[in-house]
Formats: sequence, structure tokens, C-alpha cells
Amino acid sequence: MTLTPQATQTRPDEVDQTGRAPRARAGLGRRRPSRINRPHPALFLFPLPALALYIVFFAMPTFEAVRYAITDWDGFSPDYNNVGLSNFTTIATADNLFRNALFNNIKFMLVVVVFQTLLSLVLAVFLVKNTRSSVFLRSVYFFPTILSSVSVAFIWKFVYDPNYGLANTVLGAVGLDGLQSAFLGDDSKAIYFVAATQVWFHVGQMMVIYVAGLQQIPAELYESAEVDGATRWQLFRHVTWPMVAPATAIVIAYTTVQSFKAFDLILGLGGNPPKPSLDILSTRIYAGFANSEFGYAAAESIVFMFVIALVTWLQRRAVRVSQGSA
Amino acid sequence: MTHQHNKAVFDRRQILRGAAILGAGAAAAACAGPGTVRGGSRGPASQASAPAPIGTAKVSGDLSFAHWRAEDKAVFDKIIGDFAKANPGATVRQDISPSNDYQSTALQKIKGGAIGDAFTAFRGAQFVDMAKAGLFLDLSAQTFADSYLPKMARGGKDVNGRQLGLPYQLVFNMPIFNVDLFEKAGVSETPRDWDGFLDLCERLKGRGVVPLAWPGGEPANAGQLFNSMVMNNQPSDTSCADIESGKANVTDDWFLATLRQYAQLRPYVEPNATGTASEPLQQMFATGKAAMLATGSFHMSPIRKLGAKFPIDLIAPITVAADNAKYVGIHNATFILGVNAASKKQEAALRFLDFLSTPEVASVYANGTGQHLTLTGVEYTNRDLKATEPWLTKNTLLAPRFQFNDLDLRAAVENACTEVLGGKEPEQAAEAAQRIVAQRRRS
Repeated sequence: MTLTPQATQTRPDEVDQTGRAPRARAGLGRRRPSRINRPHPALFLFPLPALALYIVFFAMPTFEAVRYAITDWDGFSPDYNNVGLSNFTTIATADNLFRNALFNNIKFMLVVVVFQTLLSLVLAVFLVKNTRSSVFLRSVYFFPTILSSVSVAFIWKFVYDPNYGLANTVLGAVGLDGLQSAFLGDDSKAIYFVAATQVWFHVGQMMVIYVAGLQQIPAELYESAEVDGATRWQLFRHVTWPMVAPATAIVIAYTTVQSFKAFDLILGLGGNPPKPSLDILSTRIYAGFANSEFGYAAAESIVFMFVIALVTWLQRRAVRVSQGSA
Repeated sequence: MTHQHNKAVFDRRQILRGAAILGAGAAAAACAGPGTVRGGSRGPASQASAPAPIGTAKVSGDLSFAHWRAEDKAVFDKIIGDFAKANPGATVRQDISPSNDYQSTALQKIKGGAIGDAFTAFRGAQFVDMAKAGLFLDLSAQTFADSYLPKMARGGKDVNGRQLGLPYQLVFNMPIFNVDLFEKAGVSETPRDWDGFLDLCERLKGRGVVPLAWPGGEPANAGQLFNSMVMNNQPSDTSCADIESGKANVTDDWFLATLRQYAQLRPYVEPNATGTASEPLQQMFATGKAAMLATGSFHMSPIRKLGAKFPIDLIAPITVAADNAKYVGIHNATFILGVNAASKKQEAALRFLDFLSTPEVASVYANGTGQHLTLTGVEYTNRDLKATEPWLTKNTLLAPRFQFNDLDLRAAVENACTEVLGGKEPEQAAEAAQRIVAQRRRS
């Protein structure tokens, strides 16, 4: 079977002196392509496996979630009632637990996005050169990423344990007893301690993305800026920062989604169900399923999707604005 | 050379058209009418008649036994081996799901009949939901159900009095204590009132040990103390159910009094108790650094595995004057055995439950897993089970925390107690919990 790539190209005799194809010139973009321009039908088979996986594992569950979201199905009973938008109304107006989880999640996300992005960028800037020590240190910082969330939770549970844990033991040993804490038992700060764990867990992964981005910046840009007398900060501000914009966009979007889905880490550290001070949206939704409120939990899931989409969009806009002005 | 072929396949209009079609599909899906039947086809109504008592004939076939206790797998393997010997041609496969996943995943499979010809349920919300969904075969007519202590078997009945399941395990959800440390503190008899309990804590503290190791960082186990604290304070045995139904509130006097008693325990729990999980506390208790562990009898076996040699017994804080104490402790009958109403192998599953209910087999399970059972005639040879056997006949209350069928509501009430032990004012904690309770009642 020959797929003849040239079949999809415009023939030289179809191009006029302006360089545009006749149909584009005539404004006939919707005209069916001629037989010779039409892709071989077999090409349509290639995306089918991916499309099938997408439909089965993403599209269909999403449609099902939308269906459940307007019901009061408990997950067991053979019947359920259509409750319209009542689940969404309750989420918006009369669910302190959901609101608490949302605020916790936003706090968690802000801390993780800011610190993980900055720390990974700093590490990448210092370790961008491919020297032996840099490569070794990159591996060290990347190591936590390959651990499972459950393992990370166990490690940090030990660190945070108030009586036998590493953190309080070290603080006590250096005479900083006043800083000893209940950590995850301190309701006002617990979510930040989990955020610190999340940063430790994923900063190496983000550092690798930044290293790849930094290595793409042409050295000539730095050389010419140096000739113009730029300081190190000015080099970073006006060359590095705008040039790593694509990497930053990826890091922030990925970190944001990770922050909203830090489900296993929270359950590993805080138990199931977690205390209100550690409850985030994903654990709240899971609590809904465990509480036999499938319809309501599905509605929470829909809201959850929109929250992630909204936050990601806002962040991308913010990054574009900040790097456009650099 | 041009690159026009890269953009000729789908233009913007076609993409928008596709998105519109997908959106319309989603909208249509969202408009699906109610009443769809999913999973198993049997509803509660189909359980109207209880199957006749199972005979003595041998059974065969492959059975699935769904449960969540991975730690019991080896003991069940031995029991299943004996069952297969007694019933040539019969095999039982254990389908074990972690307890966290049991509600959300395994139950869907059980409902569909994919696993769990015989299965288990937690007492409380899960049993209620499963009964409502018609998962249980009615065991009321089975003679092996008579082997269970009537008081304990009650937990497996539905609102109509049908025996849908048989609670197998009997645990005491009340603190365990180190008998040696009590004796060293000059305490030969456990206190019979609240002042006595506080005095005991003070004496233990004076000897340099943590009086009460309490896992405040682990909500599931932190709530075990709640059982003992409310058992004699509550105005009726159904007060927790009354909170859920709206007949009682968290801001009621009796509950505020309970929270104030929680506040009195602050000096006697380990430092930073609200952040401590149960594993380090087991270590603390096993090494003699804590005198009481506020979880339950289910932690006696893990404590022994940590090397503890001292005698262990059970103690519940009596929160009222001795004369007003109605109960001396807490028990829970759980691991409710049932037969799947959707199973095609119900006879074999009934025979398996019959087998588990015989005193000889139950004794193997009890001593192998370190659990008391709800059956009569069980012979306890395990040291700790034997030592705490007298508690089987004491006046203990069925754990009130499991009267809550709404898990969020229960978490809110128990979290109020945790917050008070962590330093919050009882009134503030009660009001915050009441707001959640009121919202959950509406749902």
C-alpha cells in the first residue's frame, strides 16, 4: 500500500504568482479537495486505537459523570431520581465541607506552584551545564520523583511524627524546641506541611523540564547582552526568563493539575478520611463516593474539572503577561 | 515546496462541528431519564422469602469469598483447605480488597455477582446501604444462625428484623492498658467514675509515663475514644442516631459536657497528640512508655508482635458517677458475613457460612487472628483473648459511633472532640460541628 505523501501537496501548477493556491485566492476554502489532494482513507485508521482509548477511558466516563451529576444515585440502589441542578446548588450554597476542601486546595496549589516552580528553576539554572557533578546532582534531585506516592507518604509520616519523627528530633537536638510542632496535627498549618512534601516529591521532575528549556537558549543572546553590559540579574530577567516561557507554561500547568490531584499523598499522610484541615477536592469527592453519594460526588467532580480548567487558564494568561513584559 | 497538506484535513469549521456533536451527545446523555437499573437485578423486594435451611449434603463448585482483611488470609486459607476436604470438589477463592476500596470498588463487583458468592460488610453505613440495595440473601431460616450470640447477631438484621448477615468478629473499641504499669502506680482496680479516671491519669503521669496514648492524627482511630466518652453521658442508647436524624444536636448539654471532659484529658495524652498516628503509639505502648492505648482490642495482637510481654486488659473511662454508670465498656460486632442474593452458588455459599459458624472452625479463626468472635462455644487459647474473655459477658454498649450512617456527619462530630483535645473551646467546636451536621441532615 502506498500512501504517497505528495498526493496531499499542492502541485506547482496550482500556485499563482502570489504564491497562493487558486481555491484560497477565490475564497473557496470549503470546496472538497480534488481526488489527488484527498488523504488516503487508510490514514484514518491510524488514530483509531488512541481515539478508542480516549473514548472508553475519558469521554464515556465524563458523559457518565454528567449523567450521575443530575441524580441522587447512591451507587447501590437500582433506581435513582433526577434532581436537576440541585446537587450543583448545594455545592455552591450549602456545603461547608466542599468549600473548606476548595480553600485548602487553593492554598495547597498556590504554595506548591510558587515554590515548586521557583525552586525547580533555581536548581535548573545552577545545574544546566552538563558537567559530571551537575548530572549527579540532577539525578539526586530527580530521585524522589520515581518513588510512589505511598512511599513518599510513609517517609514523610515518619518525618512529621511529633514524638518519634525526624523533624522534631532534629529541632530538639539543635535546641530549637520552640519550633517543635504537631505538624499534620496543627490545623492551621497542616496543609502547608503537605505542600512542602509535594514540592520535595516533584521539584526534580520540574527541574528537568527547565534544564531542557534552558539548554535551548542560544548562547549568542547571552554574549550580546554581556557586550551591552547586562548584569547577571538583567541576563536572567531579560534573556532567561522570557526564553523559558514555554517550559514555565508546562511546569505551571502540570504543577497545578498535580496539586489538585494530590489524592494519594493526602490519604497516605492524613489517613482515610483525612481531617478537615487536610481535605482537598479530590479527597472530598472520594469521601462522597465512600458515603454512597455517587450522584453528588459526580457533581463535585464536574465542578472540580471546571476549577482546574479555570485555574490553568488564568495561570497561562498570567505567565504570558509576565513574560511578554519581560 | 509547500506544507499545505498539514492543514488540509480538518479546518476550523469541521472541528467546531465535531465539538458541537460531542456537546449535543453530552447533553443528551445528561437528559437520561431516571429509573435506570444497573448492576445486579435484584432489589430488596426480591428478598421477601427466606431460603429454607441448608441440609447436610456436600457441595461442590468454585466459590468467591469477598472481604477486606488481608491480614487474615493465611488463617482463611487453612480454613478453606479444611472446607475443601469436607466438601470434595468445592474450592473457595478469597477476593480481598483493601478496606478503603471495599466500599467504592469491590461492592460494585459484588452487586454485579462478579465476585463475592459469600461476602462481608462493615457494621453501620455499609451494611445499611448493602441491605438497601438487596445484596443479602435472607438467612433468617438458617439453623447455623442460632450459633451466634443473640445480642451480637442483632447487628446483622435489617429494619424488618430479617437476619441478612451474621456479624462474625467481636472487638472491644475501648482503651487497652498495661497491667504492670497500673500496678506500679498503685492501681489494682480500674476506676469506676470520672474523678477516679482523672486520678489514675495523674498517678500514671507522676510515674513518668504517658497516661493515655491517643492517635489524634488518624481520624478513624481517634474516634474510638468517642465510644467510651459518650456511652454513659448520652441520654439514650440511640443518641448518635438522634443527632443524625435531627432529634438531638451536638450543642446539647450532654454533648457539651462530654467535650468538656475531653478538654480535661489534655494533660494526659502524649505531646502534640493531634498529629500522632496509631503506629508510633503502638510502639510507645509496647515499650512501656504509655500506660493506655485509646484504640481497641484489635491492637492487642500487633502489640504482641512488637515484643510486648506485659499483661494487657481493657478499660473504658467511666465519665459519670459510679452509681450512674450504665455501661462498663464498648463492643462492636462487625465483619458481617452474608450470601450474595445475585449469586448462582447460594447453596455452596450457605454451606461455607455454616462451616465458618461451627465452634471448631471459629476457634481456629479466633486464635489465629487474635479476635473474639460472636459465636457460642469458641475456645480461646490465645493469651490475650483468654485474659479478656470475661468482657464477653460484661455489660458493654454496641459502639455508638457506628450509629452514624453518614460518614461526613460522623467525622464532623468526632472532629469536634479531636479539636477540643487539641485546645479548642468546647462550645466553639460544638457549634462548628453542628453547622456541618445541619447541612448533612439536609442531604
